[in-house]
Amino acid sequence: MYMTTIVGIKTKEGVVLGSDKRASKGFFIGSKIAQKIAKVDDTLAIAIAGQLSDAEYLIKVARGERKLIELRRGFPLTVKESSKLIANLAYSGLRSYQPYFVELLVAGVDEEGGQVYVADMSGAITNEDFAASGSGAPIAYGVLESLYHKEITNEEAKEIARKAVAAAMERDPGSGNGIEIVAIPNLVLNEVTR
Amino acid sequence: MSENGINAGVGRYPSFYGPQGRLILVDSALEAVSRGSATIGIKTPKFALISSQIKPTRLLMEASEKIFTIDGHVGATGSGYIGDILQLIDTLRLEAQRHKVTFETPIDIDSLAKRLSTFLHSYTIYAVRPQAASVIIAGADQTGVQLYQVDPSGTFFRGSGFAIGQNSESALGVLEHSYSADMSVKQAIELSAKSIEKALGEKPVVETGIVMFADKQFKKLSKEQTD
Repeated sequence: MYMTTIVGIKTKEGVVLGSDKRASKGFFIGSKIAQKIAKVDDTLAIAIAGQLSDAEYLIKVARGERKLIELRRGFPLTVKESSKLIANLAYSGLRSYQPYFVELLVAGVDEEGGQVYVADMSGAITNEDFAASGSGAPIAYGVLESLYHKEITNEEAKEIARKAVAAAMERDPGSGNGIEIVAIPNLVLNEVTR
Repeated sequence: MSENGINAGVGRYPSFYGPQGRLILVDSALEAVSRGSATIGIKTPKFALISSQIKPTRLLMEASEKIFTIDGHVGATGSGYIGDILQLIDTLRLEAQRHKVTFETPIDIDSLAKRLSTFLHSYTIYAVRPQAASVIIAGADQTGVQLYQVDPSGTFFRGSGFAIGQNSESALGVLEHSYSADMSVKQAIELSAKSIEKALGEKPVVETGIVMFADKQFKKLSKEQTD
């Protein structure tokens, strides 16, 4: 289990990601200011649990592929397509006995609104209303399960994410040293005139 | 069969060099470029602009895109066979992202031009058809605003004004005559239109893209902005 707490919440206004800031090296706290939420671009962010190097590599490749595909076809990848891109890399890693040791929360907005996907080292992706990962996840899920509702706003979700990570930090030794929250608002869709 | 007979170079291996020591296939590619659409690049210390003639050949047909975003800070255009241009554009885009994945920084324009040069050069040393397209790259990086022309041979030039495609000599003549380093974007757009008009002998339909030193962002200009 990865020593972390990350949460992701889908809202009617977009998506919200939350994380703690502790990077563990066994029983030692390697960093108290670790960045576990990586912005891919303005419409997509990924929260990281697991091997940081593996996660950063996957995110870097995803960022490059996303830009390339957007330029080639003229419109951006959806959140699902982006998640699948990462899942395909993870799966090919698993099948060649060199898996990427990660569990990622891929959260972003597209024309369908906010989306949260969980992508793990097996290459599976699941679409969720809310999700948590890392060693603090069971505790975070307790908070999320009791406070989440379908009509949630980004401001409410930020508060719930903060509470979920804070609760995990209280009882999970793998999580601590502060909270980071990232919110992505839905796209402002302009009328298609073509 | 004699090596020096009339059939020299015909047979198992293709001949690359002509009697004058020129690369025949590369010369043919350049000739194809010189029949392509009129295309201009202008650079001042503050911005670089690329402009290319587009050909809406039939009423119900949309014209092919000619100004391409390579990455946030670079754009390119070309002249020659569209299929070859697109191949080169994709190579540029791929190299830009490859650089980003490796170094997490935007690629500088000189490196980008050199990568394209290497790609093109590889088509001049094997028994294949060289790419029949010249490309003009405009971008902004830590060294300022940059403008490059890359030819099918792999030769590349850095400069403040380029013209490729049909009648490029007369287009370049207009550029050389009227260029000044302190001209405004508006004046540069007018100058590029004038150069292309000179090459074609008629008022052209063009597509234009610009990158400013101030924001280092490459943008395609809409029709309203260039008129």
